[in-house]
Amino acid sequence: MTTALAVLAGGLLGPALLTAVAVVVPAVIGRIFGRLLRTALLLTLPIAVSVLVVNLFFFPAGRDVLFQLGPVTATAEGLEFALETLARIGAISGAITLFYLTTPPSELVLDLERRGVSPRIAFVALASVQTVPALVERAATITAAQRARGLDTEGSLWRRLRGVLPLAGPVLLGSITEVEARTLALEARGFTRPGRRTLLWWPPDSARQRLARWVLVLAVPLLLVARALGWLGWLN
Amino acid sequence: MLTLESVTYRYAGAPRPSLHDVSLELHSGEVLGLIGASEAGKTTLCLVASGLAPRTMGGTLTGRVLVDGEDTAPLAMHELAGRIGIAFASPATQLSGVAATVYEEVAFGPMNLGVPRSELIARTEEALTALRIESLADRDPALLSGGQQQLVAIAGLLALRPAHLVLDEPTAQLDPAGTAMVAAALAGLAAGGASILVAEQKTDLLLGICSRVLVIDSGRAVLDGPAAEILTGPQLADLGVAPPAAIRLRRAAVNASLPAATLARLDEAIAHAMPQ
Amino acid sequence: MDSARWTRIAIGVAVGTVVGLGLYASGQVWPLSAAVGVIVADVVYAGLTLAQTREWGPMRVAAGLVAFAVATYIGIIGFGDFGDANAVDPNTFANTKAANSWALILAIAMVIGAVVTYGLELLQTRRLASLSGQFGTRTYLLMALGIGINVILGQTVAAALKIPIYLDSIGTILVGVLCGPVAGALTGGLGNILWSYVIPPPFQYQPAAAFAIAAVAIGVIAGLLGRAGFLRPRPNRPVSELLAGGVVTVVLVGGLTWAAALAYTKIFETKIDLFPDPAKVDLIFVLLGYLAIALVALAVLGLFALLLVRRDLTAAYVVVAGVFTGIVAALISAPIAAGVFGGVTASGTDFLVAAFRRAGADVYAATTGQGLISDPIDKVTTFFTVYLILSALANRFKARFPQGEQVLEEPSA
Repeated sequence: MTTALAVLAGGLLGPALLTAVAVVVPAVIGRIFGRLLRTALLLTLPIAVSVLVVNLFFFPAGRDVLFQLGPVTATAEGLEFALETLARIGAISGAITLFYLTTPPSELVLDLERRGVSPRIAFVALASVQTVPALVERAATITAAQRARGLDTEGSLWRRLRGVLPLAGPVLLGSITEVEARTLALEARGFTRPGRRTLLWWPPDSARQRLARWVLVLAVPLLLVARALGWLGWLN
Repeated sequence: MLTLESVTYRYAGAPRPSLHDVSLELHSGEVLGLIGASEAGKTTLCLVASGLAPRTMGGTLTGRVLVDGEDTAPLAMHELAGRIGIAFASPATQLSGVAATVYEEVAFGPMNLGVPRSELIARTEEALTALRIESLADRDPALLSGGQQQLVAIAGLLALRPAHLVLDEPTAQLDPAGTAMVAAALAGLAAGGASILVAEQKTDLLLGICSRVLVIDSGRAVLDGPAAEILTGPQLADLGVAPPAAIRLRRAAVNASLPAATLARLDEAIAHAMPQ
Repeated sequence: MDSARWTRIAIGVAVGTVVGLGLYASGQVWPLSAAVGVIVADVVYAGLTLAQTREWGPMRVAAGLVAFAVATYIGIIGFGDFGDANAVDPNTFANTKAANSWALILAIAMVIGAVVTYGLELLQTRRLASLSGQFGTRTYLLMALGIGINVILGQTVAAALKIPIYLDSIGTILVGVLCGPVAGALTGGLGNILWSYVIPPPFQYQPAAAFAIAAVAIGVIAGLLGRAGFLRPRPNRPVSELLAGGVVTVVLVGGLTWAAALAYTKIFETKIDLFPDPAKVDLIFVLLGYLAIALVALAVLGLFALLLVRRDLTAAYVVVAGVFTGIVAALISAPIAAGVFGGVTASGTDFLVAAFRRAGADVYAATTGQGLISDPIDKVTTFFTVYLILSALANRFKARFPQGEQVLEEPSA
């Protein structure tokens, strides 16, 4: 469960190797490698393309010309820098994707609450996760209503921009005003009671999971020390 | 027993009080209807009775609110939560917004109160049963109909095991199907001996479940008496409240000079609809 | 405010000014002299308050400020990469890597300062009244909503619109202004972490968590500005005040434009040309230029409409708040964007970074340059939006938030 953090911290060093050990192996064991690959690719494609294009063509120290494309020049140094950055992003993205594919938000938050995170912070985290689809749905409802009144939400950019303004107002203000009613309802249900609350359920935690977590946490200082002592030269 | 002793309440920043010197008693096992024109102070009275005003709303309160003879003034909101429950008109904003299932939603209140886990489960299942929504337990509360959400909200209150329920226009934002659903649930609770204060514009709904009705006008209690008497009485329309449909029908029938036999049959039907 | 408090403030400012000027006259660099002057002013004010009213609050804030300054000093001496004091050339952002590291140090020092202030309060009073005052059911609900707004708007702008601004801090600034600095900081920090790890696609944005510290700083600044009454409506002010506000706005916006133009000309070694020859300049930069001009023009137009039509002086305050927050946010984010992502974060800002790099700036200089252009525009727009939202809300509603009284118009005396 904490793999993501550990990989992030260690992700500056030999990221490709780390991705293999900490992301690919658990994903294959968990039989979600296919979904992982698809989702991670989908999420990182835009950033990967940007990294590649920007560095390949605009790397300032680039001298070794690979090829010319109209007014821009691709350089070998740019390619190398881009590949390094991509490896790092790949490790981060793989870990995050693995994390969210295996961990529903509610399980994560309940587990954190059980481990001592404040119930209020847990509430904010869970509520904000649910706020996103709720806001989108509210926007969809209002859009449909406005379209029914003849407001144009498709077509040219200017028309769409004009459509966004009467949409953003009601969505934002409506949900902000609702805070008052929701405050009353929550306080009527004992939300302000200080201290911990009773949990209905929490995700199970096996001995193997605990072991894997400790290994990853210990790997961070080990990698840092190894890097400081120059033992990781072979990774480059 | 829930008692208000000459309560006057003014919202923060408001020039005048919204409630003037209101007193009422809600006995255990009684269903008290609260009616009045819009802006007459129904919601304010509900907020005061539940303790949310002034604890959450701010503002100034004079007079006393007592639960079973105990002054509530020194109690914090979370200490009142297990003694008086309050539901509101809008179904969606009453949901906690963090529960993935109806079961968790109903359990949210007692979870906050920190009751032991075994009791938490017992209370949740009891509340689901009381409103006959066991079949919804695994559904996502955000995807239910308004009427169903309102039942879930009321179940969430029952799980706190309050001695008294305050319902502020529980059907105001519901369609006819949802209104019928909530009305049936209220009738069930009333039959089960719950003590409920229910503010409602729909006097038809009150006719079936209330034993007593309190009418407020411009923040003052103006009428207090048996439900059948006040709801069928002549003063309601002057106070900005629409009488129940049956009563309006009877008056229309009289005005239209229908035959006495038809009127007699109409009266019989209306009497049948009255609480015994 | 009572006159005794004004007297204490005046004495503090006077002493601080004398000390600061004295240091500068004795040959110290101006940032150090100014910082010491500010701290001396605050400590004198806090000491006088303690002596006169037995109030510890200002003293604890002063202690936090001293801790912040000490942490910053140690950070810069120990870890900062300053070289000689004149190494940073604002025209070319030449030594920006050095200039950058201090912004990150400032952010960390800010956390240390907050811990000292609130730690002292906890030790002295066994409670955290000033902290818990910022939190209540309303604050928690607004925080959740604020995070949702940040994520939705931020993601739309970053993934779909591809324009070089962010619009991912409207929720943070709204919570900061209405509820307080710590609530704002939590909204920003927690929000960015959730945005990376918990919010499912299509609203997931994986680079966000790395910028959490910048979001924290934005929340703190918004909270402090809100507490100081920056977003209080000031309608129907006399022409002289509006004129002064207009001058401030023009100077700030003009100064920013001038700095951007200067950087542009130095880096590209060309003259600014409103209608550049497409044969010489890439079409993309021409279009980007137009877009940037359009955005600035829109923001300025809206603000001047506020200033002139409603004669609301707060328009000028909005610009000051936005520019200040934007510069701080840019300086904190730039080293993160450069170090972690190589300057590319899959959003509209990438084009600006690419432009700087093409002109020969290193990756740190490029992200700093991009940030100093994007962030002030972004934060002025954001503060303006928050001000519009606030003016659409009922006073009774706003007043129930912890800092709600500070966004209400002051009753005319």
